[in-house]
Amino acid sequence: MNYYNKNNDYYNYVNNTYNQPLYNQSSNNKKILDPYNGFVRGNMFSDLYNGYKLNKPLDITPLNEQADMLTYIDSLCFALIDLNLYLDLYPNDSKIIELFNSYRMEKDEITKEYESKYGPLTLNSDSLNKAPWAWDNMPWPWEGV
Amino acid sequence: MWLYEKKLEYPVNIRKKDLKMAKCMSAQLGGPDSELSASLQYMNQRYTMPDEKGKALLTDIATEELAHVEMIAAMMYQLMKGATIEEIKEAGLEGNFTMHDGAIYPMSPTGEPFTTAYIAVTGDYIADLESDMASEQRARATYEHLMDLTNDPDVLGPLSFLRQREIVHYQRFKELRNYYLEKKI
Repeated sequence: MNYYNKNNDYYNYVNNTYNQPLYNQSSNNKKILDPYNGFVRGNMFSDLYNGYKLNKPLDITPLNEQADMLTYIDSLCFALIDLNLYLDLYPNDSKIIELFNSYRMEKDEITKEYESKYGPLTLNSDSLNKAPWAWDNMPWPWEGV
Repeated sequence: MWLYEKKLEYPVNIRKKDLKMAKCMSAQLGGPDSELSASLQYMNQRYTMPDEKGKALLTDIATEELAHVEMIAAMMYQLMKGATIEEIKEAGLEGNFTMHDGAIYPMSPTGEPFTTAYIAVTGDYIADLESDMASEQRARATYEHLMDLTNDPDVLGPLSFLRQREIVHYQRFKELRNYYLEKKI
């Protein structure tokens, strides 16, 4: 990889994108990705995406049904994280607040279903209401495949 | 108060050992421009932000950086899992093995242990936010160097995600800094 080209790409991108007065923007002129496409890129606002090395974002390939369901939850959680950072600065953007809440409700619903099948993701889970204690009976997230 | 979620922000499933890569990845665990530095920096700066926007943004980004510390640690753990003594020696990790075995310890790839001397907290919110913008840029550059060092898609996926988060965080810090300058808060 050519170091200088690499940096030129980035700084061209900065000049074209970053120097716009984004603090005046509202969601009316922003393109919001769907949760999965936002998640695999690492941003929900498509105008902020700037890839490196990869021709396109790598897809997540879940190895089983549990991982598939978790990827769906991960995408929705990610959408909430990224929209929240935006809303911290633009608290009056009701269109984004509406979107945030629709993803939040979808996430709550699918999380409940996941936890009843596979165990708790947090100590707030209804799935903890039984013996043996369910918090420690599934792999920890850093264990991998 | 924090609530632990028993999942990573983005999944880490690395199938192939790569000890040299694990060693390089420690730049983002315990190096000067690491996720740990970023998290501690924003977490400690948030108290002196001038309004609710600043307190919210720094709290939320500091929290996300902690999730990134966890992802980096997971990547290092999986890259080193099951390594033989021969492989450890070959990767130049015998010093690390002697002190920490296969455990995760925040230090830089060149061996310096993590220190809070890496973080900048001045109590001046413009100075702090400009430090934060620079921190995000340095972390982005580090992620690009890490991406240059591997072609394993299991490693590139999480690295690419984390790199993009630096760009988004930079953007939000910059918007907040510009807002404060404009409003003359």
